[in-house]
Amino acid sequence: MLTSILLQAAGASESFLQFLMENIQIFLSYTGFANATPGHIIMLLVGLLFIFLAIRFEFEPMLLIPIGFGILIGNIPFKDAGLQLGIYEEGSVLNILYQGVKQGWYPPLIFLGIGAMTDFSALISNPKLMLVGAAAQFGIFGAYIIALQMGFDPSQAGAIGIIGGADGPTAIFLSSKLAPNLMGAIAVSAYSYMALVPIIQPPFMRLLTTHKERVIRMKPPRAVSQTEKIIFPIVGLLLTAFLVPSGLPLLGMLFFGNLIKESGVTRRLAETARGPLIDVITILLGITVGASTQATQFLTLNSIKIFGLGALSFVIATCAGVLFVKFFNLFLKEGNKINPLIGNSGVSAVPDAARISQNVGLEYDPSNYLLMHAMGPNVAGVIGSAVAAGILLGFLG
Amino acid sequence: MTNKKIGVLLLLMALFSFGAQAQLTTSVKINEVLVVNEDNFVDDYGKRHPWIELFNNSAGTVDLRGCYLTDIDWKGKKPDVKKMYMIPKGDVLTKIPPRQHTLFWADNEPTRGTFHVNFTLSPDKDNYIALYDADGTTLIDEIVIPAGQRADVSYGLDVDGSGKWGTLSKVTPSTNNVTLDSNEKIENFQRNDSWGIGMTVTAMAVVFLGLLILFLVFKQIGNIAINASKRNAQKAAGEGTTLAANAGQESGEIFAAIATALYEMSDDNHDIENTVLTIRKVQRSYSPWSSKIYTLRQSPNKK
Repeated sequence: MLTSILLQAAGASESFLQFLMENIQIFLSYTGFANATPGHIIMLLVGLLFIFLAIRFEFEPMLLIPIGFGILIGNIPFKDAGLQLGIYEEGSVLNILYQGVKQGWYPPLIFLGIGAMTDFSALISNPKLMLVGAAAQFGIFGAYIIALQMGFDPSQAGAIGIIGGADGPTAIFLSSKLAPNLMGAIAVSAYSYMALVPIIQPPFMRLLTTHKERVIRMKPPRAVSQTEKIIFPIVGLLLTAFLVPSGLPLLGMLFFGNLIKESGVTRRLAETARGPLIDVITILLGITVGASTQATQFLTLNSIKIFGLGALSFVIATCAGVLFVKFFNLFLKEGNKINPLIGNSGVSAVPDAARISQNVGLEYDPSNYLLMHAMGPNVAGVIGSAVAAGILLGFLG
Repeated sequence: MTNKKIGVLLLLMALFSFGAQAQLTTSVKINEVLVVNEDNFVDDYGKRHPWIELFNNSAGTVDLRGCYLTDIDWKGKKPDVKKMYMIPKGDVLTKIPPRQHTLFWADNEPTRGTFHVNFTLSPDKDNYIALYDADGTTLIDEIVIPAGQRADVSYGLDVDGSGKWGTLSKVTPSTNNVTLDSNEKIENFQRNDSWGIGMTVTAMAVVFLGLLILFLVFKQIGNIAINASKRNAQKAAGEGTTLAANAGQESGEIFAAIATALYEMSDDNHDIENTVLTIRKVQRSYSPWSSKIYTLRQSPNKK
């Protein structure tokens, strides 16, 4: 009797142990350790590198910290069990937040904030600098040509080329429309190179200019009246959007943001747009773009090609801007000449590119401050890249 | 003031309703019609009848509820809504998504549901079909299908929502009349501009043109502003006074320097002392305020 009870108890405990072991095994199969692939590890390292660059060297920390951390979030390996965890699983929290990127409504809101924080005075006081902003858009189309030769189709090439505009929101907006499958790589590439402009641009600026050119002193910009500042966003919108209606979401929001800033009667709106609103959208945009780089979707040969093309496009844009200024100077009178070191600012990485012009300029003449002059092409670059995006969307969309 | 506000409100409402109209029923087009249905699409009852396809030619969802379909030409007369087929209200299926279609059965059996109209079509005569807005008087679209239509061959627009009417090469109920199986734009670029030079030249020309126009416009605006400030400076200095050549074009740096000087001046020469409360740290480590002895209960004195 006792033996049978003991045997029963032993059998029960054995099956319970088996049940426990099975559960532990199931649990283990769900952990990140069981599902990790080399791809995940690589992407986690990339995320950590972004965070390191942002904190250690302060390379665009506002972008690289959210993106870097987003990469960590997006690359925690897990078993796809329909739990709605990943960014690509419909209905998951990350997927809902990602819709702003996918549907392309974060970028126009960022542009609203950019408009509300940008002072176009430098451009208004010296409008010829707008042409420098236009010249730097060669970076977009240079990369477009090379991407075509590398086997990308025209719409993919257009989406990749826009990296050369050095404008993250524009790159996301256009790639979400033209090549949604490449958006992650394009966005990360655009933001990475925007953060790396202090490394990419100066060597080419030095290479393409002479010492005499680097010390050119430009006329200080005149004071711009408020009326001119109010007219600028209105006329700017009407002219550019009539020419390229497909750029309307970006241009409309950019100029609207600027009008609420300059009108002087909508201070609260302007402060919200350039403060809490742009901060919220930047956080959501950065974290979701980062999380969209899930190793399984992101680590492809195309992504590597896109990174290469991104770097090239920045180089082309920088060179085109500098060379255009040199060419433009041939037609300008002495005293009105433009320092070619502001040519790099035609890319729309505001205000980093302008800051680089200033820093490189100061290396050769410690009393030659180029920052305000460089802000002209810099903000013209924002308009130029939005126009270029509109053209690409109109042609290839 | 109140009148002004009401005026602005009315203007906004008028603009809104005008803008909204573009996305409403006026965007709907009669798109394709099959008069003789022998071996084609069947309705929910498994029957074959002539059908009329409507197409929403806009980028917004359009609700057809309350609109009218008719085979009577009311031109020159006041339309009688009782003789027309009113598309019933309260059916969610009457909403047509952007650039999508819906199908009505011309079987003269309106009791069979929302999409069965009160008239039918015949190949022996010209068939007039019209779509009226919910007011019963605004004509949205109309078409006359010529007599002699062949069986299972539809008559429709060669491009959905636009183009020309004619006999279609294939019958496409509730789908596009033109089936897009390739991206023509992209193929064009691949065929004619494989190097991307054409795109680059065109796009850069547009970018330059856009910013060049902005440059020219703002150069003029800048000149006007400079002249205006010169006039103001002249007025302030008094007539007959000679002004500097760069009057009205002073750099922002000058104003910044003046503003800074004024600020510093006003900051230093103040009559009222700042009411600043400074809390200095007590140097002594002991203070009766921090002494714990006063917060402790004293032991009873047993004498």
